[in-house]
Amino acid sequence: MMQAARGGRYLVRHLKVRQVSPLLKYAPWNTSLCQDAFVESPSVSAWQPTSSSRQFGAVLGLEHLNSNSQRGFMSAQEKVDPFSLVADELQVVANRLRSMVTAESTQVPVLAMAAEYFFKLGVEGKRFRPMVLLLMSTSLMTSPSHGLQDLIFDDLRLRQQRIAEITEMIHVASLLHDDVLDHADTRRGISSLNHVMGNKLAVLAGDFLLARASVALASLRNTEVVELLSQVLEHLVTGEIMQLSVEDKDMSNMDYYMQKTFYKTASLMANSCKAIAVLAGQPEDVALLAFNYGRHLGLAYQLVDDALDYTGTTKTLGKPALSDLGQGIVTAPVLFALKEFPEMSKLIQRKFKTVTDINQAVEMVKESRGIAQTHALAAEHARKAVDAIANLPPNPSLHVQQCRRALIDIAHQVITRSK
Amino acid sequence: MVTAEVPVLAMAAEYFFKLGVEGKRFRPMVLLLMSTSLMTSPSHGLQDLIFDDLRLRQQRIAEITEMIHVASLLHDDVLDHADTRRGISSLNHVMGNKLAVLAGDFLLARASVALASLRNTEVVELLSQVLEHLVTGEIMQLSVEDKDMSNMDYYMQKTFYKTASLMANSCKAIAVLAGQPEDVALLAFNYGRHLGLAYQLVDDALDYTGTTKTLGKPALSDLGQGIVTAPVLFALKEFPEMSKLIQRKFKTVTDINQAVEMVKESRGIAQTHALAAEHARKAVDAIANLPPNPSLHVQQCRRALIDIAHQVITRSK
Repeated sequence: MMQAARGGRYLVRHLKVRQVSPLLKYAPWNTSLCQDAFVESPSVSAWQPTSSSRQFGAVLGLEHLNSNSQRGFMSAQEKVDPFSLVADELQVVANRLRSMVTAESTQVPVLAMAAEYFFKLGVEGKRFRPMVLLLMSTSLMTSPSHGLQDLIFDDLRLRQQRIAEITEMIHVASLLHDDVLDHADTRRGISSLNHVMGNKLAVLAGDFLLARASVALASLRNTEVVELLSQVLEHLVTGEIMQLSVEDKDMSNMDYYMQKTFYKTASLMANSCKAIAVLAGQPEDVALLAFNYGRHLGLAYQLVDDALDYTGTTKTLGKPALSDLGQGIVTAPVLFALKEFPEMSKLIQRKFKTVTDINQAVEMVKESRGIAQTHALAAEHARKAVDAIANLPPNPSLHVQQCRRALIDIAHQVITRSK
Repeated sequence: MVTAEVPVLAMAAEYFFKLGVEGKRFRPMVLLLMSTSLMTSPSHGLQDLIFDDLRLRQQRIAEITEMIHVASLLHDDVLDHADTRRGISSLNHVMGNKLAVLAGDFLLARASVALASLRNTEVVELLSQVLEHLVTGEIMQLSVEDKDMSNMDYYMQKTFYKTASLMANSCKAIAVLAGQPEDVALLAFNYGRHLGLAYQLVDDALDYTGTTKTLGKPALSDLGQGIVTAPVLFALKEFPEMSKLIQRKFKTVTDINQAVEMVKESRGIAQTHALAAEHARKAVDAIANLPPNPSLHVQQCRRALIDIAHQVITRSK
């Protein structure tokens, strides 16, 4: 099974990452893994449900494009924007989220402001999580669905949309709570909701969303799904606690960091993807693939975020935000740089207290291979996400294949974006 | 369940246990008594602390209820920068807002996981609704509009959400787990509801008449926070001038003193106690209407629930 899986896995399109390719050869890991990955990809439709030799052959790439055109399927060159595949449906989900929050706010005006904040966040992220979950829903279809394009949804689809709504509510609730400031906490800058409304309302708005999510979750009447998403709540708190109360011995520990990152960022994506699979009635092994897609996607996303904090330019500043350093938070680039610059250790212990500390840390990160290594690790996780999709049970439907392709494209976008 | 691997939570846990001891774990006590009261088959060895599966699940409801209750207290305690009238909340003062929020979230998350582990969708629905009610009640209190400030129905609705819903729905959950039919589950719900409302009304009255250990006089904490409760709403009917004090949220010390005077001169306190007694009576009725059960132990526990309803309205804090 493993052999067939390896043979059938998708190979990703060549990545055009400025910093990764020239520096990859210095990466401490097995760079052949990275290089093998970057070849032209066959079209999704090369995935024939018949012989395993065909699947194995898909690894080789181009020669299968001909057989694809025989079937009249999409060619690899015709790339579909993942968002467009589910744009209409996302609008339906967004409207439901909006109406859920604004319905209350007409009775309770004070919630209107919280609702506004909620929507702004969603627009900025183009509702990333719901998009992934809807694409996953189609990708895991076990029977052909009718009228998905006409926005006529069957019961299963509605329930899966509900997962997307619940996931978004949990995400925003955690942001609202994370924004609560302590009296002494001035380094963090101004959080818009918090600044306008005060801590109490931020807490309340977050609790409101969590309560709504809990009720919506209960209404699905599926105990396994309730367990999965309850666990996410616990992970979010655990991750935040790990970040707040990191002990000295853990501060420089990459495993600790990755575990915390899973809890804070990837668990939501992983468990909601798994919930989609569970609702679809997929067996445990397929649910695990969905889980792994979400997990690796989330981790890749966060690692790129970490790197961009050092290299990306903000609209207002025209230079990197360095917000992690500013908050005394240690991320992957710093942990990698530490291996080359042991003196980073004391800066970490001091949580980059002074401006000098911050500047020194930035210097060390830039002189080290920290950024490149972070991108490489992100690419590794993106690859594993792609693998998970590649190993899904074959499905002849064009639409299903398009959506699976979109999930793969998203994994690429996550690691090639420049914010 | 609360003791954490993470040192910082130890302080939050301490706060959690203090609260429990102070309240003599009122809610869990009621829920365990309700569990026995609703037994459909004789249980063996309950005295030897050997619990069957149903009992363990009902105990879990008690634990979940307590976690939700403390989480709501922790979140209610979060202070705004401008909010100095409220006084110092112990956890918040010691640890800061962020940790109070986190500790509350931790308890809510643990409660959610425990709830899910019961694998009963109706029970999950009941207690999820409690979460929504707690938030709604708090919002009703924070954002009360002028027209609702003097409205007794609004106040009772808010009180149900903030105080009684937890008791009502957890009692109902006990019944659901026990496999009781809908009408019996409703009786359990009503016991919890009326008990919770009675408790809060007496609390309201005692804020004006009870004496605190340290002060030797009433705390008047509701007035101090600008919160309108039953005695004020009753006094308003006899003293229309109370209305402007309400609108101002008893802003000045003079306002507070005037309000206290009006309350004491009116029948407000007595009427509050009377309303509490009415709810206590309804709670007792609910127990009285439970299906008969020959077991002595069951009858003892039902009697205990009735006695609790009495204690709630006769206590002097």
